[in-house]
Amino acid sequence: MPVRHGLLALLSTGPRHGYQLRVEFEASTGVTWPLNIGQVYTTLSRLERDGLVEPGESDDQGRVVYTITTAGRQEVERWFGTPVVPSDRPRDELVIKLAMAVAAKKVNVTEVIHTQRTATMQALQQLTRAKRAAAEGTAQRLVLDSMIFKAEAEQRWLDHCEAVLMEER
Amino acid sequence: MTFVRLAEVARVHGEGATAVHALKGVSLEVGVGELVAVMGPSGSGKSTLLNLAGGLDRPTSGTVHVGEQDLATVRDLAALRRRTVGYVFQDLNLIPSLTAVENVMLPRELDGLRSNRARQEAMAVLAEVDGEDLADRFPEELSGGQRQRVAIARALVGERRLLLADEPTGALDTRTGDEILRLLRARCDAGAAVLLVTHEPRYAGWADRVVFLRDGMIADSTNVSLESAR
Repeated sequence: MPVRHGLLALLSTGPRHGYQLRVEFEASTGVTWPLNIGQVYTTLSRLERDGLVEPGESDDQGRVVYTITTAGRQEVERWFGTPVVPSDRPRDELVIKLAMAVAAKKVNVTEVIHTQRTATMQALQQLTRAKRAAAEGTAQRLVLDSMIFKAEAEQRWLDHCEAVLMEER
Repeated sequence: MTFVRLAEVARVHGEGATAVHALKGVSLEVGVGELVAVMGPSGSGKSTLLNLAGGLDRPTSGTVHVGEQDLATVRDLAALRRRTVGYVFQDLNLIPSLTAVENVMLPRELDGLRSNRARQEAMAVLAEVDGEDLADRFPEELSGGQRQRVAIARALVGERRLLLADEPTGALDTRTGDEILRLLRARCDAGAAVLLVTHEPRYAGWADRVVFLRDGMIADSTNVSLESAR
C-alpha cells in the first residue's frame, strides 16, 4: 500500500495534519498520483487503528495533527529496507494483443506494432515535456523519469518484436 | 518555415548485383525551430540521411535543399557546411593537440576570422553550454560529457542554423545524455533546425517529431504539430 507507507514516511519527519500530508505527498510525486483528502483521512484512521500514528489535539482551525508512534517508525524502516516484489502482476493488454495478433496469423502484426509504437513515442514526448517543465523538485523529476524508462522499455520491446517477426517472415 | 527539405531522396552505394540501396526515396522536412529525431535499427539508413541533409554526401536521385539552396547547385559545399551546418557525432573528433577553446575557434578561423574575434565567439558559445571553465583544457583532460559539450559548442559557433547530431549521447550515462539533449533543445528553441539520429527512445522523446526508418524508407512517424509540441 504505497499511500499508507508514503504518509507514514512523511510523518516520520514530524507531526502533520491531513491537508499538509496531501500537499506534501503530491509535491514529492508530482501530480502523477493525485490524492483526495478523503483518502488521506481514511488512511490516517487505519494507521491509527494499527497503532502506527496517534492523533493529537485539534489546532485552532479544528485540524487534527498526527504524530508517528515507535511502531510506526519501525514500519517505515522496514518498508524502506524491503524490496518491492511484483507479486500481483497485472495482465498487460499490449502483450496479450500482440501475442493474439501473431497467433491469429490473419492480422497485420506490423500495423499493430507501428500503431502502438507511434502512440508510445507520443506518450514519451509528452512525459519529456512534463519533465522539462518540472524545474522544481528532484523527487518529482525522478517520478517522471520512472515513467520515461517504462515507456522506453515498451518501445524497445516493440522494436524487438518487429525485428524478430521480420526475420521469421 | 522549412529549413531543410529532402524530396524523394535515394542513395545507392555500388553498382549492379552488389549495389546497396541505403535510402529508397525518402521525403522529409525540418522547420526552423524544429527538432526531428530519426530512429531505426542499424543499417536502416539513418546516418546516410543525416549525411545527405548536411551536404557530406550527394543523393543518387532526389533533391536536398538547405535554406533556399539546392545542394546540387552549390559549388563550394565545404563553405556551406562550415557556415550553416553544425555536426555532432558520437566520436566527437576533437583535435587532441588543441585546447577546448581552440577546438571551438577552429571553424571560425577557417572562415577567415581574426584569432581574437574567433576566441571571443568561442568563449561565448562555451558559456552557453556551461563550459567556460573547460576552455583551456585539452580533450584528454575532459570527461565524456564535457568533451561532448565542447563538441556541441564547436557545432554551434558562428550562428549555424542547422544542427545534425548522430548518436550524440553515445556511451554517456542517461543523466549526461539528458544534459546534451537539453542543450540541443535550447538551441532549437532559439531558432535552429535540428536533425537528431538516435536509437534510444528516451532521447527521441525530446523531439517535436519522430521518424522511424526501416530498410531505407520511412515506416511511420509521430505527427505532432509545432504548436502542440511546445
